[in-house]
Amino acid sequence: MSYSSDLSNIRKSILNSIQNADSGHLGPSFSCTEILYIILKKYINFKNKNRNKIILSKGHAAPAIYAIYNHLNLLKKNELNSLRKFTSRLQGHPDKKKLKLLDFGTGALGQGLSVSIGYSLSSRLLNKKNFIFCVLGDGELQEGQVWEAAMYIGANNIRNIITFIDGNKFQNEFSIEETLREVDLKGKWESFGFKYIETNGHSIEKLDKIIKDVTDYKYKKPVVVYCNTVKGKGVSFMEGNNKYHSVKKLPLKQYNMALKELDEQK
Amino acid sequence: MNKNKTISIRDAFGKALVDEGKKNKKIVAVSIDLKGACKLSYFFENFPERSFEVGIAEANAVGVATGLSFEGFRPFVASFGSFITGKSAEIRNSISYNNAPVVIVGTHCGLIGSDGATQSALQDLTIMRSMPYFNVFQPCTPLDTKEIIKYVCKTKEPTYLRIARNEIPEFLNKNHKFKIGMPNEILKGKKKLIISSGAMVHNCLQAIKGLKNSKYGLVNISSIKPLNRKVLIKIMKKYKKVITVEDHSILGGLGSVVSEIIAEDNLNIQYKIHGLKNGFIDSDIPEQLEKKYQMDIKSLTKIFNNL
Repeated sequence: MSYSSDLSNIRKSILNSIQNADSGHLGPSFSCTEILYIILKKYINFKNKNRNKIILSKGHAAPAIYAIYNHLNLLKKNELNSLRKFTSRLQGHPDKKKLKLLDFGTGALGQGLSVSIGYSLSSRLLNKKNFIFCVLGDGELQEGQVWEAAMYIGANNIRNIITFIDGNKFQNEFSIEETLREVDLKGKWESFGFKYIETNGHSIEKLDKIIKDVTDYKYKKPVVVYCNTVKGKGVSFMEGNNKYHSVKKLPLKQYNMALKELDEQK
Repeated sequence: MNKNKTISIRDAFGKALVDEGKKNKKIVAVSIDLKGACKLSYFFENFPERSFEVGIAEANAVGVATGLSFEGFRPFVASFGSFITGKSAEIRNSISYNNAPVVIVGTHCGLIGSDGATQSALQDLTIMRSMPYFNVFQPCTPLDTKEIIKYVCKTKEPTYLRIARNEIPEFLNKNHKFKIGMPNEILKGKKKLIISSGAMVHNCLQAIKGLKNSKYGLVNISSIKPLNRKVLIKIMKKYKKVITVEDHSILGGLGSVVSEIIAEDNLNIQYKIHGLKNGFIDSDIPEQLEKKYQMDIKSLTKIFNNL
């Protein structure tokens, strides 16, 4: 099955909603589009009360999760146009109070993995057999709380949380390399008791296979998936260009070029 | 309850939580390597399957409790008030922003003793009353603690409980019930009103008793947020002079709460705030600290007399 048409439409929705809002985090929404898409499309059934959970710990990629909800007909018609507007359910960063679909309202980095643990412990107490998917940014790993949570997950061998790292190699201001160089990320996670898997974060097939293996309990340890991604993925002049981390309304010419490129990916 | 027996507020908290835990299976506990000191240990001993130790990781504890609360549990996270409210960014964004029904218990508040300032919660009320959706309660006796725990276990608001380690004899009527928002008029007087909260209520009561003068009134405020302004204003209007007494910074604590009400309602009252000034406390035994910061019965007697 080809997902390219869905992904093209979702990226266009992300672009349009940010364009309409006149601000938003474009680059980091494009980098995690495939990760969020496969989780939400295949592994979360919102009609099931014992469903799996998804926590977008890198809350600034809100436009991506909103666009995927929209793709799955979970939002109202034209609701994406209300992004970042007063009284909208689609706040600049996810707000669970307003949008009940969300499993956690985020925006301040570093907090999602801890909340995933709370969900996991709840499942144990309630005898639920579900999984919790937590999506972190690679810059977010600089937050100490991530490692407090990782230590707990490893020590308690919690296997129903899957941690994804959107490895787009950039953070707010500069690249990870320029800001705080990552030293032996694999070794770090492994020493905390994790199975570390590195994959192409834009390959639906590879992500799907990993999630299937984990949800089939193929691994004896908690799993962290480092996803190699490209910031601004899908639009050539945005790819790997941190200028598009957080944008205002794009000039019309740029906007049209971006739309055209995304259209060609169908 | 035996009137002569003293029991620490933290002990009353720990035991009350076990009583509620027997009735309510949704109550769970999250500890941060201080369960013995916070008396969360009683809950851990009784309900090991509902008790989670996260180690010395306050931020993680806040998140873990948030996740548990989303699935219908009523988590109690306990630590020293100074440590746990120090994680204000995590409390703000994980609990408050999500209106998650978590209870944070801050113990070792006020003039705790020789461990010194780092271990003493002195600014916790300032931080926690500013958090949207949070209720903020501070019990003044063991019975008040038990009643507050009962209330908190039945409700779903995010809540901060400020718990003292002081041993306090029961002085409330045995029929005392906690009513959210309600100031609790312990003594009715004529000219001077003392308003206090937590462990200091007992010292104020003793100081007034020593004055043997019916002109002093005493109000305990256990429900710091929300607080029924109308009821408090009605009480204050009966007096010419009002003083608040607190073992907390005067910047944002009980004194600030009352002064906001007085200012907004243009009450014509002489008002004083007595509490900890802009600074940290020193190490010493609690009795010495109370003297140094003029919170002991003798100092309070003098302050009330000179009001």
